[in-house]
Amino acid sequence: MPPDSASDARPFQPRNPETFFAAQRRNRRATRRMSALGIFAAMIMGVPLTLVLTPLIYAGTLLMAEIINHFSPLPPEFWQSANDVGQLASRVGNYFFNHRGTLDTNALIKAIALFLLPGMVMAFVLWLTTVVLFRRGGVGGALASMQAREPNQADLKELQLADVVQEMAIAAGLPAPKLMLVDSSGANAAAIGTSPADARIVISRRLIDDLDRDQLQALLAHLVGSIGNGDLRIAFTVTSVFETCGLLVAIINSPFGHQSRSAIWRMVRYTFSRGSSDSARAVEAEAVASMLAGGLDMNSTDVDRFFNKANPGLLRKFFRLVFFPILFTNMAVELTLWFFLGVVVGPCMALIWRTRRYLADASAVELTRNPDALAGALQRLSEDNSAIPGGTWATHLFVINPQGDHTARDPQVTPEQLRQAAEVWAGTASSGGDVATGPGPIGPGISATVTAYSSLRSEIMAAGLAAARGDAQAAARMQAFMQAMAAAHGEDAAQFHMPNLADVTASRHGDREAIARLQAQNQQERAQRQDKHGETGLQAQSFLSFHPPLKKRLKRLEKMGARFSEGAHARMSVGARVVMAVLFVVIVPLLAVAAAGMLVVIAMMIMLNLVFLSLWLAVIHAIFVWLNARWAE
Amino acid sequence: MDISYELIAAIILAVLFLFFLLRTFNRLVSMRNGVRSAWSDIDVQLARRHDLVPNLVETVRGYATHERETLEAVTQARTQAMTTSGSDIATRAIAEMALTGTVGNLLARVENYPALKAVQDFLLLQEQLTSTENRIAFARQHYNELVRQYNTSLAEFPRNLVAGMFGFSSASLFAADAADQANVQVKIQLSGQRDR
Repeated sequence: MPPDSASDARPFQPRNPETFFAAQRRNRRATRRMSALGIFAAMIMGVPLTLVLTPLIYAGTLLMAEIINHFSPLPPEFWQSANDVGQLASRVGNYFFNHRGTLDTNALIKAIALFLLPGMVMAFVLWLTTVVLFRRGGVGGALASMQAREPNQADLKELQLADVVQEMAIAAGLPAPKLMLVDSSGANAAAIGTSPADARIVISRRLIDDLDRDQLQALLAHLVGSIGNGDLRIAFTVTSVFETCGLLVAIINSPFGHQSRSAIWRMVRYTFSRGSSDSARAVEAEAVASMLAGGLDMNSTDVDRFFNKANPGLLRKFFRLVFFPILFTNMAVELTLWFFLGVVVGPCMALIWRTRRYLADASAVELTRNPDALAGALQRLSEDNSAIPGGTWATHLFVINPQGDHTARDPQVTPEQLRQAAEVWAGTASSGGDVATGPGPIGPGISATVTAYSSLRSEIMAAGLAAARGDAQAAARMQAFMQAMAAAHGEDAAQFHMPNLADVTASRHGDREAIARLQAQNQQERAQRQDKHGETGLQAQSFLSFHPPLKKRLKRLEKMGARFSEGAHARMSVGARVVMAVLFVVIVPLLAVAAAGMLVVIAMMIMLNLVFLSLWLAVIHAIFVWLNARWAE
Repeated sequence: MDISYELIAAIILAVLFLFFLLRTFNRLVSMRNGVRSAWSDIDVQLARRHDLVPNLVETVRGYATHERETLEAVTQARTQAMTTSGSDIATRAIAEMALTGTVGNLLARVENYPALKAVQDFLLLQEQLTSTENRIAFARQHYNELVRQYNTSLAEFPRNLVAGMFGFSSASLFAADAADQANVQVKIQLSGQRDR
């Protein structure tokens, strides 16, 4: 090695170097820890859920028993045991809430079993249903909704990509996963499937153009490594937990609205549609799965529509009365799921998934022995738009958060960008004359230094201020500048969109129409920006993102020997850190109080549910008693 | 009581020992099979390279007239590698590494011929060969990793007894020493000169 290149390179010494084998072992341990935590969290969520569901199950059973009893009387033993259960419930309630009476251990265990078992069994059955139903489907459906295609054999770059996939599969000793391409403006990649044998790797075409061969290889090594680590099964399990919750909500909501009814109906139809083709089934599975996941959203409108419809008919009024108590069950279930999925179970799942991503990063380093390439690829991707339309619930499978992750973005303006902006700015000088407030114009031969950047910025801002004051020349120049920048940037043109300055000036003088126009434009832009953000899928249910922050991933890669540009090392200033610490100290207790408040609300909901259900049952029982009496006459 | 505690303890110990024997044996067998299949993966890629090299040589010969020596070195190395294909891993590793070196050299020199870079067939061939070289390298990495794990577990304490009992022998790495490689290079050059 020539001596000067050695001294040229940044003296490289990671603080706590770690081999990729050590990193893999550590992350495997972390996965085990997090899984245990996740199971524990799911059990904790199960307690309030069963407390809501068990009375409902008992109520349903009693209702059925009343109806059957009406036509053919049930044996007295049944009513006796039902009575016993009721007695036990009231004894437990009395003991705990009124501190009256006694309760031996035996009765307590019996009560707990009677209250928890039916709900637990029901949750388990629902979970099994979703696991069995969606084991085979989903993969093809996700691919179809992303409009994935096979690689083009005539395109050398896509052939190269297929070769790289083969290489990485050989390096990992796995059967080569099938490569699918997505023609989307987002740059991202994912491994989808149910087992290593039928795994697919989905890559957006944009990625091939953006990354060099080494970086592509590293990214594919991450995906292939993740397949080899068995992440597909873990992803499936994680998804199934959310789908189960969605199914539960759909069932609870089904008396109220067609949205949940159609979800259930489609699921039933899917279950029994063995005849149709595989691809059609896969698409249907995907649709049902995303419907179930969507049912978890708090803004599902079935219940609102049921109770808030104007001018209800007589039948609707009757049903409202009948279903009124279930409204509380419904609210209790939705609230419990929303709270526990968002704050307890969802974050646990996210943490499990994060350890898998770190593990896959370590595996990628093992396969390629090139941590630089992976770090470079991740950093490059963080600067891109990474949203890929479609595949709603599969967003957590992508390498980079489809919602975008700016934690590793280089905050510095590159000399290239600066030069471009300066040139464009100088080019617009003729269209709008000189702005008196700014410093002298900067020529195209500007040196790319920070001072040049700040003077350019102050000049542009002065022009903008002048334009806002109503200076027509400055306004024309700003307009020309924005248009030129948008033209230079092509795809990312939207960020240079500027409101119509005439409208701005008019609105300052109180022109209502101008204000309305500005608002409309603003809303339109916001809608566009929403489109650009990827669909959120499971991530929306969790308070914590499923994707580890890129900055942390890069840090861990650095420990394994990666070097990357200085931008990723940008640190917060001391002042910002102090502010963050203070905010943290203030916010954490507030959040704890809010969580406790939520728990109280959920407990109240459960109580209300119990009260209304028992009222409901009492009324129904009275009706049947009256009916039976009439019948006997 | 006829059955003494000692007997029960002995039976339990024997069962445990058998269990350990069984597990170790199965583990070693599966590791050995892993090594073998990894080796056959390398073999497939080596054969693929042997098929691709003549095409590359022919394509380049038409355009790059000044590379006769390089081309001959590649052809020689290929013949050498193919003749060793029946022998043991260490010998093959040396010959194949030499071929890797000469092919790499050729692909690097070809960069000087822009006319060649404009031919679509050559670009495809180049991509195939580059990818095959990568596959060989990755297959080798995978194989060596499995061999390392296998050999380690053969040498570790309780397992080495079982391994000795059932006659498991350690596998050899697919690697060539630098000295061996240089040796082959020289031989190839010498034989190339003799042909002339």
